[in-house]
Amino acid sequence: MKNADKGTGFILPALLLLAAVTIYPLIQVINLSFQRRLLIFDVVEFVGLQNYIFLLEDERFRDALKNTAYFTTLSVLSELVLGLAFALLLNRTFFGKGVARAFILVPWAIPTVVSAKMWEWMYNTDFGIFNYLLGTKINWLGDPQWALNAAIFMDVWKTTPFVAIILLAGLQVIPRDLHSAARVDGAGSVSLFLSITLPLLKPVILIVVIFRCLDAFRIFDAVYVLTGGGPANTTETLSIYTYKVLFQTLQFGYGSTLAVAVFLCVGFITVAFIGLIGKRFVHS
Amino acid sequence: MKRRIFYLVLTVVVLYSAGPLIWQVLTSLKTDHELTRIPPLLPGSPTLTHYISVFEGRMFFRIMLNSIVVSSSTTVLAIMIGSLCAFGLAKLRVRYKPVILGFILSASMFPPIATVSPLFMMIKAAGLRDTWFALIITYTTFSLPLSVWILTNFFREVPDEIFRAARIDGCTSFQSYAKIILPLSAPGIFATAILVFIFSWNEFLYALTFTSTEDSRTIPVAIALFPGIHEIPWGEIAAASVIVTIPLLVLIFAFQKKIIEGLTAGAVKG
Amino acid sequence: MKGSSNTISIFLILSVVFSLIAGCEKKVPESAGSGTVTIVFKHGKVPGDPEHMKRLLKKFEEQNPGINVIDETLPSTTDEQHQFYVINLEAGASDFDVISMDVIWVPEFARAGWLRDVSHLMSEEKRKDTFPGPLEAISFEDRFFALPWYIDAGLLYYRKDLLEELGFGPPETWNKLIEIAKAVSRGSDNLYGFIWQGKQYEGLVCNVLEYFWSNDGDVFRDGAVVLDSPQNIEALTFMRDLVVKYKVSPALVTTAVEESTRHIFGNGKAVFMRNWPYAWNIFDSDGSLIKGKVGVAPLPAFFGKSSASTLGGWQLGINRYTRHPEVAERLLNFLTSKKTQKYLALTVGYKPTLRSLYSDKDLMRQQPFMTGLHDIFMKARPRPVSPYYMMMTQVLQPEFSSAISGIKTPAAALRSAQRQVEHMLGANR
Repeated sequence: MKNADKGTGFILPALLLLAAVTIYPLIQVINLSFQRRLLIFDVVEFVGLQNYIFLLEDERFRDALKNTAYFTTLSVLSELVLGLAFALLLNRTFFGKGVARAFILVPWAIPTVVSAKMWEWMYNTDFGIFNYLLGTKINWLGDPQWALNAAIFMDVWKTTPFVAIILLAGLQVIPRDLHSAARVDGAGSVSLFLSITLPLLKPVILIVVIFRCLDAFRIFDAVYVLTGGGPANTTETLSIYTYKVLFQTLQFGYGSTLAVAVFLCVGFITVAFIGLIGKRFVHS
Repeated sequence: MKRRIFYLVLTVVVLYSAGPLIWQVLTSLKTDHELTRIPPLLPGSPTLTHYISVFEGRMFFRIMLNSIVVSSSTTVLAIMIGSLCAFGLAKLRVRYKPVILGFILSASMFPPIATVSPLFMMIKAAGLRDTWFALIITYTTFSLPLSVWILTNFFREVPDEIFRAARIDGCTSFQSYAKIILPLSAPGIFATAILVFIFSWNEFLYALTFTSTEDSRTIPVAIALFPGIHEIPWGEIAAASVIVTIPLLVLIFAFQKKIIEGLTAGAVKG
Repeated sequence: MKGSSNTISIFLILSVVFSLIAGCEKKVPESAGSGTVTIVFKHGKVPGDPEHMKRLLKKFEEQNPGINVIDETLPSTTDEQHQFYVINLEAGASDFDVISMDVIWVPEFARAGWLRDVSHLMSEEKRKDTFPGPLEAISFEDRFFALPWYIDAGLLYYRKDLLEELGFGPPETWNKLIEIAKAVSRGSDNLYGFIWQGKQYEGLVCNVLEYFWSNDGDVFRDGAVVLDSPQNIEALTFMRDLVVKYKVSPALVTTAVEESTRHIFGNGKAVFMRNWPYAWNIFDSDGSLIKGKVGVAPLPAFFGKSSASTLGGWQLGINRYTRHPEVAERLLNFLTSKKTQKYLALTVGYKPTLRSLYSDKDLMRQQPFMTGLHDIFMKARPRPVSPYYMMMTQVLQPEFSSAISGIKTPAAALRSAQRQVEHMLGANR
């Protein structure tokens, strides 16, 4: 069935579009990352690896990297567990399934900027609903202990539907007779899940995890609106730092270096995941 | 008993997801000075003033039209281009497959804030500023990685035997793509379409940069225009986000039904 | 079933086609041929009825036949506007002519070469009539690169009714403020003493500088960075102590912005609040819980020193790449004229930058609160006027935030800020 290079015609439109739209910006960013380019000082010069050397010594970069890694790990893990639970729940047949499915999508459907503002108000110490319902006076976004976790909580709420919807589609294509056959063999629900569902879901889980990591590692709007990176930069992610360097201080060179650093980190994560659990996906 | 627990869990899940939206609905019905007082939880004297003022002097319908056109065009394009590509990768012979998959993925590895400036220059050079087209092309491109990866996976699930049988019957590659693969992968396509649609519906950064008037401005940018320098009209923002979220839910609900029906129909035939 | 899914796909495909067509036929400049010149005015949202702005621009068009003005609103957060201008002006965009700028951007934009020199539009008379703060903020290398449009400054709001009950007037020193706040809020656990803006953002810098200045501190003195001066350390320590030692400010101030404090004060839950003048009109409107119970005063100072408030407000400038510089200048003149400033003061509450308007009869009658702010605006001080300010504030914000949220001691935070700002300026000079 595999004719020589028959597929090229099919993949070409996608590749051409991607090349047309992304190549120039990518080259531009990489090019800028080797320059010292400070608009307001009329400085434009090639400095080789100087920005990258500075990057290694930059404490603010290190802190942002730490925050981002923490944010990514915790939020993606929680989203995966919750999303899987949601998907299993919605994969059953029950009355009102369509409505329930649509409702699960609500958080994903509210514009990020709006939901971040909404959560900022819900987190308000004085008139926020969280403190009201819990009967506490916690300074969710102002207390360095809480702020990053509060941002993670919001992100989990916001993006679990993304995970759930892909996993649900994955569950739907698992043939039902597989389950019935196993049930005849006397397998319980848990062992059924572990021995059949989970392995079959593995490729979909891999995709979900990769794309969630990509997004979480580049998180910007949600956290920026919620905390602006504060207090004291404890919620400053790599993208927020990049944004500030690029658009508030107009250091296009170093800002691009930061962007390349994000690119490299994300690339590394992806390769690691594929190597760890997903070789089959790429090579089959 | 088991059923009851199931429905209890389901209720909790639905409340968790929809809770903030419900809160938003309540907020949008409150009068200005009730907004930031708690208790009471419920609006004392519900008012529609915020909803009225959302539509006043703002061309909100035009902005909703912009969002609808941009998002649905993006969805259609991304699914078309993405599924073709995924079909090639999943079922046909392609050289350097890992490299291609990697290249596609790398498009969404840079932080958008770093690429927005060069992209803007391109859009400007092409004379596409403040048009739907600028947004559609950008969104389609950036949703390709996700679409291609998900769809490739789902297409792979379709057994090769069906595909081979079709070939013997004289189907070309394209025919087996259109007549076999697509219908059999409906759940995957539906999931992808929803994700792409909502991504385009909510995207803010590119929309902020590439649009400048009501000609092409989308909903998130329009909502960002509500606040003044200091003052944030919370009631209006809440009303606007309810207005734009509820049709979206209805739409998804309707589509979902259609697609599931289509799926079962296709399965019977196939 | 089949029919309806076809309908859907047809609709979707049509919308794609439609959008492609719309994309192509877009925007032939209206100025072509007909002899009219179109210029675009970009600004943040104007409060109140959008008709006021339209009417104003209509008037300009009547006075200047053949000129067509389009006003385009930008999203209002200052960060988004800054980002928009940076991307567009860096790309040499010429499709807008007159732009509005936050008070801290002018030197930066001027240094980047994005603004036209408009010194010749600032007449001797106008210059004498303008408040000193905005005048300083629009200058760069002894030239003017923008004209002031409206002014803003930090104020102290207080609950007149509660203070009068105990026989207090508005406090002139910070210590007096603590004393009054404690006395008034004693016994009621639902009343905060003093709230202000302490989230990590530009507003925090505005707040902190007011304490520095009212203790004779500063950021620069004679060209040298003096961030870690004893006065500044004392001032920042005092801010932290408002929360932890005197307990008149709740911990929530470390995440507060203008609106969250305005709502708390508006709900009658605070004795004092630092905020901009915009809050007054809201407190004074019908349905406000504290209407008639609010007083406004200059911010307090440290003992024996004098009060200072941070200057805010917006300026208008001309895009360097404009195709119609003369017309843009005409519009700039019109928008910053005395007549326009008076009109905007009466309709949308913009505070004029021209001092003579504060003794204008109509304004005094209709906006008595506004005209009472003259003396405060006279003393409003701009944040360091420098093209490097936006870089500096990126250092100051996290350091100030770490001091007031207790992550670093104020002295350590200021020493760190001092080192970074010195390094930044040294490296770039």
